[in-house]
Amino acid sequence: MITFLLILHGLTSVVLLGGLTHQALAVLFPAKAGGGVMTSFRSVNAAVYTKANIVLYLVTFVLGALIYPAYRVAVRTWIERARLWEISGSFEMKEQFVAVGLGMLPLYWFVWRKPLDPALASTRTWITAILCAIVWFGFLVGHILNNVRGLFGQ
Amino acid sequence: MTQQRALTLFAALFAVFYLVAVEMNWALITYHPRQEAWGWGAQAATKGPAMHWYGWLASAALAATVATLIAVPVLKRIAIPTWIGWVAPLAVIVAFAWVLRIFFFR
Repeated sequence: MITFLLILHGLTSVVLLGGLTHQALAVLFPAKAGGGVMTSFRSVNAAVYTKANIVLYLVTFVLGALIYPAYRVAVRTWIERARLWEISGSFEMKEQFVAVGLGMLPLYWFVWRKPLDPALASTRTWITAILCAIVWFGFLVGHILNNVRGLFGQ
Repeated sequence: MTQQRALTLFAALFAVFYLVAVEMNWALITYHPRQEAWGWGAQAATKGPAMHWYGWLASAALAATVATLIAVPVLKRIAIPTWIGWVAPLAVIVAFAWVLRIFFFR
């Protein structure tokens, strides 16, 4: 069951990563439709991603919270025995960053409400960029942890 | 407008209260994964580790909700810029990175 939830956690995080990266790049480096892959990536209608991103963040967060005890008992113990302090610290950062991101979600929803308020453009950009950075960090740390014994096993 | 002020305050207060909850270990609940048992407050580890993360989240959510409900009517004559809603969380993220740097410089 834990393996199933872990894989589901990974899959939802990939979809969330895609949605938030699309939205963040569209708002940070807006582009008109057409052109190459990168231009097309940035020229999406960013507002349509908001609700999906919120739901995916919550689902990924809850799945992470459900598998956390298994990590705490089995994985972290092994990481500490292996003296992989940077890996352990990276997870500590991940858990705190995603928690802070959770508290930003209601405001994130508000600033992306249609019709978009031009007065909230700066907040919209920053809050999306911060959430995107949090999710990228969480994803990379989770991916390394998932493979920790293969990468750092002694 | 009230909704904007409330959500801005909540985003900022949640981040600050979460930082305080973690640093002071003010956990509303504790989970003991080996025993699969929950307990009220910040309990010490017994047979196996004690997990306070859920408790820190609950404490921060409760404190931020109550503080927002109080602050919105009290501060109704004071302008609350929305940038507070991302500057405070960003500052808390930087603070956590600073606190947790010990893991990387052992």
